[in-house]
Amino acid sequence: MATKNSELSSSEIKISVKHLNVGFPLGEKQIIKDVSFDVKKGEINGFLGISGAGKTTIIRVLTCQIPKKNWEGEVTVAKISPEKKSNHRELLSKIGYVPQLENLNLYYDLTPMVNVEIFASNYGIDKDIAVKKAQDLLSILDVPEDTWYNKTRSLSGGEKKRLSFAIGMINDPDILFLDEPTTGVDAAKRYDVLSYLKKINRNTGTTMMIITHDLEAAHICDTVAILRAGKLLEYGDPKGLISSLPSQGQIARLTIEDLDRNKINKVRDFAPVKKVMRSGNEILEVFMEDFDINLSKLVEYCIHNDIKIISLSRDEATFRRYFQIRIKEEEEREQRFEQGGGH
Amino acid sequence: MSDLGGLIRKEFGRIRSDKRSLVLLFAIPIILIVVLGLTAGGTTTFFNASIISKDSIECSGEFPDNTSSEYAYSFMSIVKNNCTAFGLKTNYTATDESSFQNAKSECSNLLKSEVIDIYIILPENFSEVVEASKNGSINIYITYYIDGSDMTAVQAAEVALMEPLAFFRMQAGLLENMTQVIPYTEFDVPSWKTQILNYALPMMLPLIILGLDMNLTSLSIVSEGPLPRMLLTPTGRREIVLSKLISYSAVMFLQVTEVFTAIAIFDLYCLGSLFDFYLVLLVTGFCGVTMGLFISAISTTEQVANQIYLMMFIVLVMFSGFMPAELLPPWMGVFIDILPLGHSMELLSNIALKGLGIDEFHLSVVLGIAILFLAIAYIAYALKTKLKKLEV
Repeated sequence: MATKNSELSSSEIKISVKHLNVGFPLGEKQIIKDVSFDVKKGEINGFLGISGAGKTTIIRVLTCQIPKKNWEGEVTVAKISPEKKSNHRELLSKIGYVPQLENLNLYYDLTPMVNVEIFASNYGIDKDIAVKKAQDLLSILDVPEDTWYNKTRSLSGGEKKRLSFAIGMINDPDILFLDEPTTGVDAAKRYDVLSYLKKINRNTGTTMMIITHDLEAAHICDTVAILRAGKLLEYGDPKGLISSLPSQGQIARLTIEDLDRNKINKVRDFAPVKKVMRSGNEILEVFMEDFDINLSKLVEYCIHNDIKIISLSRDEATFRRYFQIRIKEEEEREQRFEQGGGH
Repeated sequence: MSDLGGLIRKEFGRIRSDKRSLVLLFAIPIILIVVLGLTAGGTTTFFNASIISKDSIECSGEFPDNTSSEYAYSFMSIVKNNCTAFGLKTNYTATDESSFQNAKSECSNLLKSEVIDIYIILPENFSEVVEASKNGSINIYITYYIDGSDMTAVQAAEVALMEPLAFFRMQAGLLENMTQVIPYTEFDVPSWKTQILNYALPMMLPLIILGLDMNLTSLSIVSEGPLPRMLLTPTGRREIVLSKLISYSAVMFLQVTEVFTAIAIFDLYCLGSLFDFYLVLLVTGFCGVTMGLFISAISTTEQVANQIYLMMFIVLVMFSGFMPAELLPPWMGVFIDILPLGHSMELLSNIALKGLGIDEFHLSVVLGIAILFLAIAYIAYALKTKLKKLEV
């Protein structure tokens, strides 16, 4: 796969990955297959994919958690290669890491301030400076001041999550890696968590790499990567990817009476239609060429073919819809590949 | 690059928050010392005895007196009046089988109910044989019955019986060609000191200090959720293990100091140097810390760590010298030499009771075991975090 963002100058690139292959052992059980991408300074980059896609494996290579014997390719993080063991300490001093679960990042029996101080000391940061930085970060992240000196155990789930972000940021990292930052957060609070990440990015200019299966995360990402079975399917900014859909991602949403497979196939047969997706029991989402011109023709076509439209609305595709389409395309491609005997 | 002080502060924070372990660590030795210190009792060196005489020469009075010519009564009188290790509770003259059985049955009941500690049976021909012995060497067989479940009493009785026999020989004039050995316990705790405390401490302190420190440290690595995350900072494995070693050793130092102060308050009888005694306790505690680190490093979960701890502790106790090496098969006796408790107990006993200095061999073995476990703990932790996927 060709390297994306290849026009960037190397000074702007914080993460550079070229032809990365990972296997346990390498060459046999391939987890990551020829993945290449660059992450620019100050960007929020999202690695999206379902479980088992290989997202965590990539982040583990970038954070020196996988020995070189298990991977090949050209990788630099903050201009340092994780290839050599002697580089690890320097590389780790330039990154921050926020694990998926807070109990892997926080000492619940200690106070938030002590937690931040402990991790600051790992980077050789003086205690007074650490306290000041901790206060700044906890303030940015709206962790209430009256909880700073209570036991971390007493914090709410959201506060613990934000404290975890603060710990990840304590060394002013060049790059902050976040593993599933919205895991364990209820739907109503997920947006808040993502907003805080955006806020940190805006206030500090820190480059972020988020791995997640939460497609809502794409809202805050400057670039996203879609990963499936170890392969990078797409890489780019979310809006650009959505606009690569027919008619820049415009959708005709039809509610059709007694929607069944025959009616779906009939709609699919309409020449300008490029993609049809069933959404709910009676709702069909239709992508087509020359949307404005063909929308009224589609309605006429349906009437002509005894397809009763109860309602019609016009919408724009979300990243979630783009992701589903792209994954489905890949599945169909693989299916065809397998049916064709692998040719 | 990373600050070891921060890691040590973190360890202290974690230890401080574990109130239950701290109570165990600091309260249990004190409770033990207080209980032992306030217990005035001594060892079983005094025996309440009954004597059954089968000697056929009848006695005229109710109780023998020194004017009696029968040797059985002389023996009873000596036990009653002259011995420091014996007191005569009851005596019986049983010249026929039925009265002997009755007397024996009664003595057995007294022994069971712990009214007496021993009963002695003098044979039918006791007086005649003693008389005849003056002209030659004829053996007399005296039988005694004792509570066999009390091993220390069994051993003590053998020694204690020397005393009435010695007095009896003197009185009966049976000293010709005889060397009388009168036992004297060289390394005894003075009677005005708390005997139980002073005898028990050299045995129990290493067990308690090593066991409790090992217990506290055995969860130090395995229970620390964010530890793998630490390895994604410039902090290395060496600093992590070192910070734990320093912190837990400091806690151990406090514990040993507390124990040492407590035993000083309860007037520890120590013939040797108190500093040596303290030093041995510290080395034993250090060994407990490194063994705990080893358990924590090789364990995958807290439950596994607890199980390994229990297993190791039982093995340590079994091979601490509790079962004498000479009673064990030779290959099993080796465990006493390669495990630390036996050496620590030996060191403390020698210092406290014999007034000896530190035996360099024993101390080196304990220290060597500690360092060996520390090295294995570090290697095991490094391998575990290297080979196993970091779950962060």
